[in-house]
Amino acid sequence: REWALSDTDISSERQSLMDGEGDSFTSRDGGSSNSMLAICDPTRLAHRFVVLLLMCFLGFGSYFCYDNPAALQTQIKQDMELNTSQFMQLYAWYSWPNVVLCFLGGFLLDRVFGIRLGTVIFSILVCVGQVIFAAGALFNAFWLMVFGRFVFGIGGESLAVAQNTYAVNWFKGRGLNLVFGLQLSMARLGSTVNMNVMGLVYHRIWDWRGSTGYSTLGVVLMIASATCVFSLACAVILGYLDKRAERLLNKEEGKTGEVIKLSDVKDFPPSLWLIFIICVGYYVAVFPFIGLGQVFFIEKFNFSPAEASAINSVVYIISAPASPILGFMVDKTGKNILWVVMAVVVTLASHMMLAFTFWNPWIAMSLLGVSYSLLACALWPMVAYVVPEHQLGTAYGFMQSIQNLGLALISMAAGGILDSRGYLFLEVFFCAFVCLALVAVVVLYFLNLIRGKGENWNVIILEPFNSHFLF
Amino acid sequence: MATAASLLLSLFIWPLLTRPAFAFLDRGDTYRRKVSLELNPGLNSSHTAPLGVINLLHVRATGNNDTLHFIFCSQGAPAVLLVHTNSSSSSLKVDWLKFLSGNLSGSLKIEPENSVHYSSALVFTRLWEYDDVNDTADPTHLPPSSFFPPYELQNFTWEDLNRTLNYTTHTAQLCGKGPTESFHNGSFCLGFSAFESEGRGPTWPRLLHNANASQVRFWLKGVTGRSGFSRFVLELQHIDSKELSSQVETLRSIDDEYTPSIFQVSQWVFSPINSTSPILGYVQWKPVAYRTESPVLNDATPCRHSHLMPMDQLPASDLFLAYFGDGYSAHGLNVTFSIAGDPFYNATDYLSWTVLVGLGSPPTESFSALVIGIMALGLGIPLVLILLGGVFVCVRKQRSVPQGYEPIN
Repeated sequence: REWALSDTDISSERQSLMDGEGDSFTSRDGGSSNSMLAICDPTRLAHRFVVLLLMCFLGFGSYFCYDNPAALQTQIKQDMELNTSQFMQLYAWYSWPNVVLCFLGGFLLDRVFGIRLGTVIFSILVCVGQVIFAAGALFNAFWLMVFGRFVFGIGGESLAVAQNTYAVNWFKGRGLNLVFGLQLSMARLGSTVNMNVMGLVYHRIWDWRGSTGYSTLGVVLMIASATCVFSLACAVILGYLDKRAERLLNKEEGKTGEVIKLSDVKDFPPSLWLIFIICVGYYVAVFPFIGLGQVFFIEKFNFSPAEASAINSVVYIISAPASPILGFMVDKTGKNILWVVMAVVVTLASHMMLAFTFWNPWIAMSLLGVSYSLLACALWPMVAYVVPEHQLGTAYGFMQSIQNLGLALISMAAGGILDSRGYLFLEVFFCAFVCLALVAVVVLYFLNLIRGKGENWNVIILEPFNSHFLF
Repeated sequence: MATAASLLLSLFIWPLLTRPAFAFLDRGDTYRRKVSLELNPGLNSSHTAPLGVINLLHVRATGNNDTLHFIFCSQGAPAVLLVHTNSSSSSLKVDWLKFLSGNLSGSLKIEPENSVHYSSALVFTRLWEYDDVNDTADPTHLPPSSFFPPYELQNFTWEDLNRTLNYTTHTAQLCGKGPTESFHNGSFCLGFSAFESEGRGPTWPRLLHNANASQVRFWLKGVTGRSGFSRFVLELQHIDSKELSSQVETLRSIDDEYTPSIFQVSQWVFSPINSTSPILGYVQWKPVAYRTESPVLNDATPCRHSHLMPMDQLPASDLFLAYFGDGYSAHGLNVTFSIAGDPFYNATDYLSWTVLVGLGSPPTESFSALVIGIMALGLGIPLVLILLGGVFVCVRKQRSVPQGYEPIN
């Protein structure tokens, strides 16, 4: 598979980043590139830096607005008069379209729209979705808010695929790892800023309008949609620059290269199914928890809303710098399964700390952030090792589809559980899923040991980090 | 190697984490009492009743060799009197002539008197209402002009307890109306329950009770608030037989299964001034009130209590004056409902709060069987798998040890 590189490719990649010149682009006219400004020349570093910036901000709006409900949980529940189960529908309906869309994203971008138009379309969907979400609040129509999240979900996940495809197209062989790392950091920066800022924005608007209620909420969400408009602008400019580069350098339009064949499912080995179970069991204990986290910290640990939002964002703050470092470590040691075991055990410990003790939750949340990053770096590359190259697209698509299905179902279940049985039971519920992941990884470890496949997982996968729920 | 490390880690962490949790494992209080109820014992038509009904409910909870008497009465301010005797045949004697004529002192006795080990009374004295225009829910910092004249519960007219008395479930409901127009369509109610054994209330806050406890549920239904921003404060007073020290403490509790999002328990405990002695009696509650009859999570509203205040005047409860006579002191406590930002009383015209009155140490929460089961399975299955897998791998390694010489490459 063209996206899998070995160690030697990485070192040559680092070298070519230093040079700033690539050998995958040829210019139509060897001499004319010298007459353009560096910033306008697609072969020069300055221009690629601008493109990199645009790529990073492409996903900013989507990540910023995804966790709006978590940052405004109390306000949404109060202004729209919702119980927790209804509130969590805002998350569930983001995931529902992606159960199917994971398989279609690559196809849509490669065959139907093309990368440039596709990116713009998905950005528009993200923008429109967020605006509908805000409009639902303005008109006090919860069904409209849910519909807005649905549209937002269609755009959000597919936008991540597009973002990655752009990155590979422009930066393959020239520091692709670094680019992915930067994109990831920007994404998580968006999430963190959202968590810490939206509460304050709501307060400001409340002071200004002098009243609370659904219209205040609507105004606040409209303001949040400005980030999506910004991302849309980046998508348009990026599309223009890409088209220009294609014209000047005679290069191909980027392709995701994903091939999905659903009939491959029957060939999936048991190890892959275990990896799926680990993925679902783990992520359903993280994202719905963050969605409900703010009020948990306010009620149980008596934090102020601002502090509770800050601690809720710790997982994202840590994930931004930790993921590249941990990724490097996992790549070097190669023992992916053991890192997954460690990540799952630490997450279990973290959830148990939050459930059964009153210890300072900063500790538990920091542990959760580190283990979450570790798991992402260790788990997703494992798929490439257990499945042949031509089935990788299907395997990843399936993994993300199941992940989204799990998230959709468990988000709603979590809301219902909280309403009837409280936070302790909710945490025990999450612990049960982490234990499920633990059982799966233990079985996987012994299966691997018995089959004698060894523990050398030294394969570095770059492309298919396509999901919002990955890093 | 790393598996061993993770295994050690999990084995080490688990006791550390679950030690505080072990405190919540159900120790199972199996002590039972036989409960019998009687209303107005000894009252017959020869006693001339004053205006209104006489509601004196006597609950007798007999244990193996002791008796717990609960007397719930609405004469004057409604009160719950708790008397613990160390004889299983103690009984209540009411001198109705004295009691009804107003010459209260000594008109209520538990006989034999020398078997009385501990007695105390909890009196509901006043219901305060204040105008919370600025939505602070902090009556201690409001000027006196924000407060409406309080409802003195001794001036309420009460309904007949006989109509709501249930001899099988050991419950009674006392509803009354105040003298003002606000109670035209509403009432102030107290629901009394006695218990034979350990259990939980059926509705939130589902307080855990045992055979030594009784539960009083207070609710306001349909009462009209005197302003659009009304909030309420309930005043309680407590009197004891000996010079006991009473203190109110709020404990943190990790278990909120039965009161979602409430992680605290408040208890007012009474123990002899010599602090090494055990707690003799308690009043326990969860700091939450509910704004509808069948509440969901959104209807919960936190409540706070004030510091204990020694009272100058004794409460106007006939029950207290009849049993204790003179020479006792009372401590008062104010329970404030709602916090800033919560809806006002008139959003639902309903407010309820539950309190437990009992003997001995207050009950401590425990995990439900479901929680314990899930955690045991969740942690046990991986450990068992690791052990089994480790054993299996070791056995396989043993079997595949070469039989003497190394194969030539």
